[in-house]
Amino acid sequence: MFAYYFRLSLRSFRRNVILTGLMVLAIGVGIGASMTTLTIFRAMAADPIPGKSGELFTPQIDNYGPVNLGPDTQRFQTPDRLPTSLTYLDAVALMRAHAAPRQAAMYATNVAVTPADPKQLPFRVPTRATYADFFPMFEVPFEYGAPWSASDDQARAPLVVITRQLNDRLYGGVNSVGRTLTLNGDAYRIVGVADTWHPTPRFYDLNNAFDYGGAEQLYLPFTRAIAQQIHSNGLSCLKPVGSGWQTLLGSECIWTTVWVELPTAAAARAYRSFLFNYAQAQRDSGRFHWPAKVALRNVRQWLAYRQIVPQDVSTLVLVSFAFLGVCLLNALGLMLAKFMARLGQVSVRRALGADQRAILAQCIVESGTLGLTGAAAGLGFTLLGLTMARGLFANATSVLTRLNGGDIAIAIGVSLVTTMLAGLYPSWRASQVQPAWQLKTQ
Amino acid sequence: MLKMNHLSKVYRTDVLETHALRDFTVEVREGEFVAVMGPSGSGKTTFLTIAGLLEEFTGGGYWLDGVDTRGLNDRHRSRLRNEKIGFVFQSFNLIPDLNVYDNIDVPLRYRGLRGAERRRLIHEVLQRVGLSSRVRHYPSEMSGGQQQRAAIARALVGRPRLLLADEPTGNLDTQMARGVMELLEELHRDGATIVMVTHDPELAARAQRQVRIMDGRIVELEAEPALVGQGNVDGLSRAFSRTA
Amino acid sequence: MELRPILSALRRNKVGAILIALQIALTLGILCNAVYIVQQRRALIARPSGVDEADVFTVSNQWVGNPANMAALQRADIDALRRIPGVSDVFPAMDVPLNDSAMTLGITTNPDNPNSMRIAAAYMGDEHMLSTLGTRLVAGRNFSASDIREMDGLFGTRPPIGGLLITRDLSRKLAPNGKILGREVTIYPFLLRAPIIGILDRLQVPFVDGPDDKIGNMVEDSMILPWRYVGDAYWYVVRVKPGALDGAMRAAPGVLAGVSRARIIEKVQALSQARRDIYRANRTMVQMLVVVCTVLLAITAFGIVGLTSYWVSQRRRQIGIRRTLGATRMAILQYFQTENLVITVSGVVIGLLLALAGNLWMVEKFSTTRLPLSYLLGGVLTMLLLGQLAVLWPALRAASVPPAVATRTS
Repeated sequence: MFAYYFRLSLRSFRRNVILTGLMVLAIGVGIGASMTTLTIFRAMAADPIPGKSGELFTPQIDNYGPVNLGPDTQRFQTPDRLPTSLTYLDAVALMRAHAAPRQAAMYATNVAVTPADPKQLPFRVPTRATYADFFPMFEVPFEYGAPWSASDDQARAPLVVITRQLNDRLYGGVNSVGRTLTLNGDAYRIVGVADTWHPTPRFYDLNNAFDYGGAEQLYLPFTRAIAQQIHSNGLSCLKPVGSGWQTLLGSECIWTTVWVELPTAAAARAYRSFLFNYAQAQRDSGRFHWPAKVALRNVRQWLAYRQIVPQDVSTLVLVSFAFLGVCLLNALGLMLAKFMARLGQVSVRRALGADQRAILAQCIVESGTLGLTGAAAGLGFTLLGLTMARGLFANATSVLTRLNGGDIAIAIGVSLVTTMLAGLYPSWRASQVQPAWQLKTQ
Repeated sequence: MLKMNHLSKVYRTDVLETHALRDFTVEVREGEFVAVMGPSGSGKTTFLTIAGLLEEFTGGGYWLDGVDTRGLNDRHRSRLRNEKIGFVFQSFNLIPDLNVYDNIDVPLRYRGLRGAERRRLIHEVLQRVGLSSRVRHYPSEMSGGQQQRAAIARALVGRPRLLLADEPTGNLDTQMARGVMELLEELHRDGATIVMVTHDPELAARAQRQVRIMDGRIVELEAEPALVGQGNVDGLSRAFSRTA
Repeated sequence: MELRPILSALRRNKVGAILIALQIALTLGILCNAVYIVQQRRALIARPSGVDEADVFTVSNQWVGNPANMAALQRADIDALRRIPGVSDVFPAMDVPLNDSAMTLGITTNPDNPNSMRIAAAYMGDEHMLSTLGTRLVAGRNFSASDIREMDGLFGTRPPIGGLLITRDLSRKLAPNGKILGREVTIYPFLLRAPIIGILDRLQVPFVDGPDDKIGNMVEDSMILPWRYVGDAYWYVVRVKPGALDGAMRAAPGVLAGVSRARIIEKVQALSQARRDIYRANRTMVQMLVVVCTVLLAITAFGIVGLTSYWVSQRRRQIGIRRTLGATRMAILQYFQTENLVITVSGVVIGLLLALAGNLWMVEKFSTTRLPLSYLLGGVLTMLLLGQLAVLWPALRAASVPPAVATRTS
């Protein structure tokens, strides 16, 4: 029966091409708009490291205190007024305490790479200074070689891990492990080449959350970078600070973050109390005089806290789904008109033996067919919408405006289900017609 | 075949009560060809729609082929309609979107028959009414007489026990009307039970028995002994054993 | 025009009427909010930067290999750039307007009260900065050559400053009622102390795009410190005479290469292009909302046309009867227009509630401003007009139904 109803739907569409075409377009546009924003939203709100996002945490310590630093400062504060980075001293202290099985302090910077080929000009690359645990913690895949070790961190060894992208650029993609690379004029030895790895969003580097182009292309040991006085890309000092590298290191300026791996809930609880005790000890030592305040957030919590999805995207999601609502109301009305105009036919079928359920089924299949056709149009409009939406993101990487299989399935599903739901009432009305009434007025 | 006993049909709205049929008692035996006559508004169409299970009745009883139709649910009634009754309407009521083949196919679809079986039945009945050459045509491409023949084919394809015709020649010119009447008579000779509503006394005369309805009641005229075609039980299926 | 028959007819076609009313309601709700956002963004994009963008371009410069005398090289660069035909002024900058990265510092007249601190974008420039950018002074004076100090890193030696320039907006925040010219301010976190020697008409902070609008009314809080940055990565900002932009932009890299090849020039960009780039996200938002609104209106109109046409075809007989009873074509037309008006008005009433609800949500979540009454009124008028125009075609069709239709039985 289903194939029969499907054929009947197609025939009815052919009969009134213009009206059906407009209905399909209306549904398609609604699906297109809502699926565009939904695709982007899903990409932005996605779990960048599923399976591990519940085990990776980043600590925060309040080293600013409750002092009101003017109305402008408040504007840029987080909801709980905790700073989003740590001072150098705090980061190093946390690392030294080893309260987590895996841990890595890190900061973003950039270095000048001087290629071995003298004909090639030097260039700057985004860089991450971090500890050895970074790689196993975040499950960074390696093309060649391996990360440096904890003892290398200790020794401030001049080692470097480069990315595949950099490796391709410098060495044509061959195994460059063991070669020497000149960074900022100093020699480093390549110990590993990391394979292409783009967690989306880049939760540990929110300035380049969705920007593949701005992501780090090489990794240095944190200790070595500090020893070479390689400055962080950004820092925030709410307290007065003097000049000089050592002063900076000892100041309350914040520019490093720490990520730790805490595999069980018990481990997380233990770390949280360790963190609190640390802050408490700092207070007791006189460093600050306000009550200790700390936070420990895992990847998902961190992304929500930092409001990774921009306002505009949320607004557009709301607008587009309201828009879809209008399109479906529209389809409902037109389906009602269409089915009601065909009541005569329905009566004939009833007279020939169709019960109410059969009429209902026929109409629902017709609305489903409309939904499928609408889905096809919708996918076209979604692609259009995603192309247009690229302008919303600076350094537009296509990662956010790509349609993967899941998005396509959702689009088809939403179109089908919503159109069929919209068709329920008109179908029900059609099935309720008294056969005699329509035939009598003939 | 068709037995109504003190049947009544009342249409009720908030302000008005209309008695379309009152104390209606009639019996049509198998193989009879009955013409139902009456002025407009007398209730003959209502009688037909109730007989065809297209409407429910208010009081009394109606047995179709021995089945008590009172209190049947929609599913049961639809099934009875599909299996036992064939309709022929004044304005043909063919589905304009479908061609002749697909129009005749409709009742078979609701019976759940397989494709091959349906094809066989449809081609048989098309030959019976003489429309085999027009099988892919649309109603808009055929004359009135051809359309009515297609409608009759549709009514017959499911081998119904009872044919109900509402002014079958009302929209046809004299020549086409004659052709349709001849077909109906032929079907009757082959054992079909036919109840035909008409206002044309000439047409009514060609039936075996005439029944008159006035103000929702029966006023019977000229009863004739029933001619039960040659002792067969399944009269209409006999009609198909003939090939053109 | 009698309302009662219209209302009773609508009651019998309840569902269809409700559907149209709901479409109108949702459309109004979306329209008011979307148009408001569009207007806000367009105003955002139109904000002047305080810079003569048409005649200014920037050249990014990164020294490589740590050359010995970067200050001298910079002087040579600037001389060379000045010699390009059409160039009227040049200065080296750590940050430029219409660019995403910037330094922000705290500034206050009252160092004992941390709550009085304002945050402002800090530019570093020399005595040529104002004339290069075209930024106007409204009070006080520009830096003189002797005010400028060379600085090679924020955490290297930071020379003391003898004075600084701030924008008018910032001056109002620091001293709402009084004078600020000549008063000493303290800059955090470097604890610099210096008097305000000049007030600028306007100079935007570099990071202007903020669709999340966290910047808000801070957008013109800028200060200029008299430091010439001689570190290893910075910009040359070049001003040209009108019409000379393209030629100068083409010539600049070559001219600089003539001074030294030990550098990387990543970008030569006109400020007008920088403006286009930085506002791209906002522009896209405007475009998307405009598209949504236009299509939305079209779909609602289409729905009205479709459903009303169906009603007309269902009521052909009735229309014919009315005509035989003496109704004119105009009367039939008016009947359908009035019927549509009733539905539209009900839809508008619900729509106003939806518009306000939507706006309240945005105020809650995003701290935007309340929807002004004019937008609601404009939306209502638009929907009324849309309804009446959409129903015109089916209503005209209805009006042309001949009275003879009444006589046909089928």
